[in-house]
Amino acid sequence: MRIDPISAWSAWRPDEREPWNLMRAAHLMRRAGFSSSPDQLDVMVQDGFDVSVDRLFACDGAKVFDESMESTEQVLSSAQDPNALASWWLLRMVKSPTPFLEKMTLFWHGHFATGAEKVADSRSMLRQNRLLRDHALGKFEPMVQGISQDVAMLVYLDSTDNRKTRPNENYARELMELFCLGPGNYSEDDIKELARCFTGWEVRRNEFRFNKNQHDQGEKTVLGKNGKFDGDEGVRIVIDHPATSDFIARKLINFFVTDDVVDGPFCEPVAKTLRESDFDFSIAMRQILSSKYFWSSQCIGKKVRNPVEMAIGLIRGLGINFNMNELRDRLAALGHLPLFPPNVKGWEGGRHWINASTFIGRVNLVRQLVSGAPATFEAGSLAKAVGTRDGQQSGDWLPRLLDGFLPIPLQPSSLSSLTAIADRNGDGQDQRIADMITTLAGMPEFHLN
Amino acid sequence: MMTTRRQFIQTAFGSAALVSMSHSVPAVLLGASRQTALSGEDRILIVIELGGGNDGLNTVVPYGDENYYKNRFTLAIGRNDVLKIDDHVGLHPSLRGFSKLLEQQQLAIVQGVGYPNPNRSHFESMDLWHTAHRVSENAHLGWLGRCVDESPVLAGELPAIHYGDGRQPLALGTRTRQVASINSLEQFRLNVGNKRKFTDTIRGDLAIRRDSNNELLGFIHESAGLALRTSERIENVLDTSSTARDFPGTSLGRKLAAISQLVDSGLPTRIYYVTHNGFDTHSNQAAAHSGLLSELGDAIAALMTDLQQRGHDKRTAVLTFSEFGRRVRENASRGTDHGTAAPLFIAGGAVRAGLTNKHPGLTELDQGDLKFSTDYRNVYATVLDKWLGIDSTPILGKSYDSLDLFRV
Repeated sequence: MRIDPISAWSAWRPDEREPWNLMRAAHLMRRAGFSSSPDQLDVMVQDGFDVSVDRLFACDGAKVFDESMESTEQVLSSAQDPNALASWWLLRMVKSPTPFLEKMTLFWHGHFATGAEKVADSRSMLRQNRLLRDHALGKFEPMVQGISQDVAMLVYLDSTDNRKTRPNENYARELMELFCLGPGNYSEDDIKELARCFTGWEVRRNEFRFNKNQHDQGEKTVLGKNGKFDGDEGVRIVIDHPATSDFIARKLINFFVTDDVVDGPFCEPVAKTLRESDFDFSIAMRQILSSKYFWSSQCIGKKVRNPVEMAIGLIRGLGINFNMNELRDRLAALGHLPLFPPNVKGWEGGRHWINASTFIGRVNLVRQLVSGAPATFEAGSLAKAVGTRDGQQSGDWLPRLLDGFLPIPLQPSSLSSLTAIADRNGDGQDQRIADMITTLAGMPEFHLN
Repeated sequence: MMTTRRQFIQTAFGSAALVSMSHSVPAVLLGASRQTALSGEDRILIVIELGGGNDGLNTVVPYGDENYYKNRFTLAIGRNDVLKIDDHVGLHPSLRGFSKLLEQQQLAIVQGVGYPNPNRSHFESMDLWHTAHRVSENAHLGWLGRCVDESPVLAGELPAIHYGDGRQPLALGTRTRQVASINSLEQFRLNVGNKRKFTDTIRGDLAIRRDSNNELLGFIHESAGLALRTSERIENVLDTSSTARDFPGTSLGRKLAAISQLVDSGLPTRIYYVTHNGFDTHSNQAAAHSGLLSELGDAIAALMTDLQQRGHDKRTAVLTFSEFGRRVRENASRGTDHGTAAPLFIAGGAVRAGLTNKHPGLTELDQGDLKFSTDYRNVYATVLDKWLGIDSTPILGKSYDSLDLFRV
């Protein structure tokens, strides 16, 4: 079925047929955050759609939160253990008052994928993480200029040396292939010429520096433009290429909206917004998250819940106190540990999250989260976390919980299975609810987002 | 020049070995169980991907060629250090595991493997190896995945297993059936409290059909079913079969130990796939490459010993490949950049041991890179037609001649 792109990306408004309710608030928070508890979703429903979206972008409390994390960051980055830094980021995702900003940062981390294992310097990884967060909802050019001189990135791409006589082509290649244009929009000659722009860019003792003596001052031809370009100008030429807006629009749409392959014409309204706003991501993301397409049945539930979304979503949704080092190891086994992407292309995403092994791992992780020895709940018990009161049968609280958890309704028979577990005789209530949530994790609907 | 036929074979230790092999007993004269083992019905292929681009020149070293020493001013392996195969080439000294396999007639070395118009991008060249050059047709279908989809030989449950973390290799990409990925055997145990109750409930739940228009839900539904069935089988393997012994404690060693256990457990799986990464040696190559090669050689040697003791060596073949070799001339960082043709290895109890095809000449280069003498699809065709008993023509899109790599 063809969808008209202009209409798809035009603004959606809740109405009587498609009301602003708990399920829709949950959809917004699963995609533009890491899920929320049923109580928080209720607040969003009361506040209305516009206020809820505005709040995502306002990033209230970010500064206070950052300051509260600072001392931890100092300790971690001097400890030089990139694994600890991954735990730290997971903790941010759990605790942050601005989950949308963390989600955007995770998106950019996958886009400018850099692996902590190879970089082997926590300070550089932390600095890159801050750079991505600072620009995550800002503009593209300062972010790309920053990442092009980012120590972690240059170490990761073996681009710490760049001599006049021996230009290093690696960064120039990835800037065009993976960060801005996508394959097919440049030639091998463009790579060679762009690499000349970057000559003299070096990393020494974990600091970026420009070595003027090693810069090739000559004329270059990059993507059809001629001049005695330096590195900054080279980056700008790539960003200004018409393919960039299309490439970035697609990546945003695939991360936030749908796992389906989307083509250029379909993404054009978002690409146009990017071009006309000088690549302002708060404007483009507002268009995406307020679009008819985002709120249509073609998108709700049409992504695979990635492991980080699944785990952080349960932790935030149920207020679980969980050991972040344990979580880190389990996410690594599921192939989705932040700061440890599989390669410079980042995470493939979509259906690649699910296979026979990761499916078992996902179910085991859910079990661990709701019933493992390290798990306790902010509400005091799992029963309180899911919103039950004394003596209540699951019929009183389960529908609301599922509306917050699942993007599409369960089969009636699946619902009966869950009810039977939650209301069975014997065992404590927490035990029964933990068994119920574990069983829910075995059902295919749970893995949709 | 493209050579599609085997040009010459040289066994590891001259013609004597060749003569003695020709006296091996024909399969029809052997006992029933042994005959089954050789009939192609339960032969096993283990593919090891060497990710990053293995430096073929420092793997099978042309120590008899002075040009090698001119181009590899710091990285060359000394004449006295190579494990000599013949007067011209020898193995990297870290490949003692491979030289042992050569002595035991269990290692075939195909030289100069590549393809026309070489692509030097990791991702694109790897895609070619994974899909066998039919990228444009369907980006999600791998050469082994196509076998799983189409060949009656692989019609049973669990036809192929990807063993390792990370995303499933494109080579196993299928259209109709899913291939299982396994991180570790232990991680395949369901850990959900009352396991019986859980599996009974979920099995019942999965028996209920979902909205057939929801393709993504259908995919996850199918994955869940496969996961439960696989988990059950793997737990059975863990509970009933003996773990492999005497494997190196390396990452690859652990993976091959697990695969040996799976092979021995009677699992119907015919294809196993593992990766061994880190071969993108742009700088300070010597130590890293040496470590990677000893990990490779030692793990495969241990695997063959273990399979031999368990009686599976004659029905197992191990194929290695990498997306490309590396530039002939080393770079300024004591490393090597992306190149082209390189040797690949096939280990097993039924391989025709020794060298196949010529080592690419170091003076006839194409933009500083070696010219290939063997198209990788001829190797694939050989493995499919001669080893797995799968007609390679529909899989590879056309007919490729087989090489003489198996004694079957």
